[in-house]
Amino acid sequence: MIARTAAIAGIGATEFSKDSGRSELRLAAEAIRAALDDAGLRPSDVDGLVTFTMDDNAEIAVAREIGAGELTFLSRIGYGGGAACAVVQQAVLAVATGIASTVVCYRALNERSGRRFGQATLPPGLDASWHYPMGLATPAAMVAMVARRYMHDYGATTDDFGRVTVSARRYAATNPAAWFFGRPITLDDHRASRWIAEPLRLLDCCQESDGAVALVVTSAERACDLRRPSAVISAAAQGSGTDQFVMTSYYRDEVAALPEMGVVARQLWGQSGFGPGDVRTAVLYDHFTPYVLMQLEELGFCGRGEARHLIASADCPPINPNGGQLGEAYIHGMNGIAEAVRQVRGTAANQVPGDGPVLVTAGTGVPTSGLILSAA
Amino acid sequence: MTDPISTAAHRIAAAGLSPARTARDPVNRPAIRDWLTAIGDDNPVYERDGVAPPAMVQVWTMRGLRPRDEDDDPLRAMSAVLDEAGYTSVVATDCAQTYHRYLRVGETVAVRTRLTDVTGPKRTALGEGWFFTTESVWEVAGEPVADMRFRILKFRPEAVPQVERQAPIRPVAGPDTAFFWAGIEAGELRIQRCGECGALRHPPGPGCPRCGAFKPAYAVAAGTGRIHSYVVHRHPPLPGRRSPVVVALVDLDEGVRMVGELLDVRPDEVRIGAEVRVAFADGLPVWRPDLTELPPWELAVTPTVIISTALATRDFQDVHHDRDAAVRRGSKDIFLNILATTGLVQRYVTDRLGPDAALRGISLRLGGPCYAYDTLTFAGRQRAGEVAVTGRTATGEHVTATVRLAS
Repeated sequence: MIARTAAIAGIGATEFSKDSGRSELRLAAEAIRAALDDAGLRPSDVDGLVTFTMDDNAEIAVAREIGAGELTFLSRIGYGGGAACAVVQQAVLAVATGIASTVVCYRALNERSGRRFGQATLPPGLDASWHYPMGLATPAAMVAMVARRYMHDYGATTDDFGRVTVSARRYAATNPAAWFFGRPITLDDHRASRWIAEPLRLLDCCQESDGAVALVVTSAERACDLRRPSAVISAAAQGSGTDQFVMTSYYRDEVAALPEMGVVARQLWGQSGFGPGDVRTAVLYDHFTPYVLMQLEELGFCGRGEARHLIASADCPPINPNGGQLGEAYIHGMNGIAEAVRQVRGTAANQVPGDGPVLVTAGTGVPTSGLILSAA
Repeated sequence: MTDPISTAAHRIAAAGLSPARTARDPVNRPAIRDWLTAIGDDNPVYERDGVAPPAMVQVWTMRGLRPRDEDDDPLRAMSAVLDEAGYTSVVATDCAQTYHRYLRVGETVAVRTRLTDVTGPKRTALGEGWFFTTESVWEVAGEPVADMRFRILKFRPEAVPQVERQAPIRPVAGPDTAFFWAGIEAGELRIQRCGECGALRHPPGPGCPRCGAFKPAYAVAAGTGRIHSYVVHRHPPLPGRRSPVVVALVDLDEGVRMVGELLDVRPDEVRIGAEVRVAFADGLPVWRPDLTELPPWELAVTPTVIISTALATRDFQDVHHDRDAAVRRGSKDIFLNILATTGLVQRYVTDRLGPDAALRGISLRLGGPCYAYDTLTFAGRQRAGEVAVTGRTATGEHVTATVRLAS
């Protein structure tokens, strides 16, 4: 069991912008130095580095820049934003097995000023040939296919999607670190935003951001002696569904579902002993609004197709109190993990009261991952 | 609205519906016969019943070769403003006509028009220009008999630098998938079938996940299915394609699913569960509503066709009869006018459905021009109460139209 063996002892980030004006390597180095400083650790303490396969900063280049010495653990996780919590799981596995003692997870990207993921460019690999040439060539369009079927199967409407983004922007409006700080929107703003890939509008799509986030993972025991309160990792899980594709898992019986998140959910509750009713706040990966609703269902907060009713009810835990990727920034889900740590520490801009665990998830529609963090 | 064009547009639109302008001549057999001859329409019902072809409605109130100055006509007034500003060339882009009833020989129609919308300046393939829309109502003794929305582009002809068109995204084939793409080339939709247990599978792979055998074979699909879900892609632009692109996830009758572009359907008409049929275009499977296809019709568009239809529709714009003038205005040759295209669409539908098919309306959008010496190929697909018509030249789509039929 890996429950409560490791903790996130430090978090660090750059500012979130649309044009950082700096290299991705520099963003990575800045975020990692900030995270180490937050934990009260030195670069020479780092012996493990983990990132996404999509990150363009080699572990060895990052190690050189921050002034780390010898590394004993280097790892990467694939499938885009689905990696976010899985990189932490890698760190937990390394720490729990004694392969490394201080593992830094990082993600740095100039996604707005550099390569934009929303553009239609063919990825390598044969699977893309069943979708891209046919005109299904952007993440928004791939999610829209599922969203349309979800509406058909369960009676959800585009307004239900809009309520997710209105909520995110309300939180972002009071989070000074959020790109959309001070800029809330109404459901009418959502209704008036242009179609990107029907049934998704512009305001159903997360932002494009430049920035970096880093997390320092070490043993739960050691974390107690460090500078700041740590967030203990009560559960860390990765999951892929049957007949899984990257964003285009259209060949399963049920298209309007995210079974990969179900795989993650069962492990999270199993490892931690918690259940949906215990969760104080959930940071759910919100690249596109419909998948926030569908995640709530897969995670067991409500039944299939019922999330639109749940988010309107008092039983729903606060979701994405940092404003999410719709409101704060799109750092491939890593800023959501940093927010979960702040919520556990009690230092968030929109602090959710209570002492219950905080749930955080990674990108869905792809092999995904999740964490449950709680106080030491 | 600070620029003079928008100011003028605002003034003309604010004036509302123009006073009725009466046709020069009553609906008459000589004009009908000239029109039918130019369009090549042999439908006997007009002669038999003493009625005019519905697509002729605009012809009766065309102004002729030497129009009188009438500043109260919104279309003419707006055109004058744009001429003045240097947007001297004109091309019609959209026309939606509704026929409340057919006009009878001897009746005199009058038309009232208003300006509804002006947008610009826009970059277009022809040059910088302004789009404007008018709405017209035709009346006989105060009774509305037809109406029309008409959209025009007034542009400043220029040699627009040809933007390098990005190549569309092409599929990549591998050893496990080549059979599928070879099938497309052969005009077959192939589904992987396990050579051992017979299980069907799409997308394909090297073996059979069900029985574990590596004996891939394939079945040829019937090519029919139903829409399981769909997307209307609008932004960002897809390489080598024009948005919107409708993409469907299709449940094939054989039990597998497949993604493909859905053609010949308006985005707001797509329904989950609708029956579709496969076709092949540019090396890809594409899907269309499973409707009755009308046999195509090919028309050799000679200069005579263009000039005779222009004159029979009383459209004396020089670009429809004077090659030098057309070239001077930025075209490569004289081209069909929109009234003629409307007439040809009407003829195609009544030729295919029979002379007594009664039309309630024609909505059409013009694509590329149809020049002299082009071959114009019409194709049609019938659905409840209407026929979808396309007319293509070698260089692309000249017209897409929806012809509404009386039930």
